[in-house]
Amino acid sequence: MTAIDPRVQEALDGERDPTTLPAELREAYARLTAAAALLREPPATSVAERVMAQIRREGPAPRPRANWLLRPVTFRLRPVWTLAVAAAAAAVVFLPFKESATPGAEEGVAQFVGHFPGARSVEVVGSFNDWQRGALALRDEDHDGIWHGAVVLPAGQHEYMFVVDGERWVADPLAGRYVDDGFGAGQQNALLIVRP
Amino acid sequence: MVAQVLDGDAEAFGIIIRRYEPGLLRFATRMLGSPDAAADAVAESLVRAYRHLAQCRDPEHLKSWLYRITGNRCRSHIGRRYMSDIALDDAPPLADPVDTWAVLERGEQVALVERALAALQPEKREAFVLKHVEGLSYEEMADVTGARIPTLKMRVHRAREALLLALKELV
Repeated sequence: MTAIDPRVQEALDGERDPTTLPAELREAYARLTAAAALLREPPATSVAERVMAQIRREGPAPRPRANWLLRPVTFRLRPVWTLAVAAAAAAVVFLPFKESATPGAEEGVAQFVGHFPGARSVEVVGSFNDWQRGALALRDEDHDGIWHGAVVLPAGQHEYMFVVDGERWVADPLAGRYVDDGFGAGQQNALLIVRP
Repeated sequence: MVAQVLDGDAEAFGIIIRRYEPGLLRFATRMLGSPDAAADAVAESLVRAYRHLAQCRDPEHLKSWLYRITGNRCRSHIGRRYMSDIALDDAPPLADPVDTWAVLERGEQVALVERALAALQPEKREAFVLKHVEGLSYEEMADVTGARIPTLKMRVHRAREALLLALKELV
């Protein structure tokens, strides 16, 4: 395969002013930008009508799950184990919860532990925080790759994922239970069941 | 708008469709090489998005979420159908070899670029289309694909090289 001069790649990535390219490199730049422009032609079709017809048949969009109020749950805490749980157990057990983290009558404490050596950050996103980043960051004070944290959650069933280094979504490999993430690629969210 | 739909206003989803449909259809068409297959993939994706809208991890990233679902559907379609079987059947005949790029009709240019794009591996094709056709940033592309930014940059760079080479061979 013919390598493209890095300066052309930089220009195409918006990291270099294309007018500064030497004349001999401008043809490649122009050819690729022209090709991309040709591919930007707007589509002539629309699927809006058939999609709306389908969703009208289906009724209102399902709201976030709240059926945990109606069903019994069988686990006190998940996840509390990982490949490194033995090493992390003491740290997790004596994890200093914030005062505000005292669980109420219909709440439980969920502890998260993950083994991500070399990670710069690990956080937990899930159905309990609307999959918002930044709400629950895990900690690795010992820099041993074992990240942990805890949070008070409503009793019931929650889906969650770890987000490593702010960009890599990882289902807890040892969560034990998983559900399809609904995006059609066969990927799964980890499942957490909290009992009061 | 997401909250409005989740509050039971299904018609509000029509606004979401109108806003994002053109880009999703274009993305799917470039991924699958067939407008009909793309329409099916986008329609399925939008219905799926509606059903799972409550799981949209961040409504501010709705665009990336919709592209992600559509990309997944496209990969599923690609898994079932061989890309070149779709694209090349619909492509017009190649231009006369003595023609140059500049004298080709626009339709011929489009067909040649589509053919070169179809020859790329799906992940490179996806990276090129998201970057250069849909104009997504690398951060948005990472949201859509789940791949890391350095990986995506490498895919885009390799796609450019392969595309440029293919275009030189075709014209």
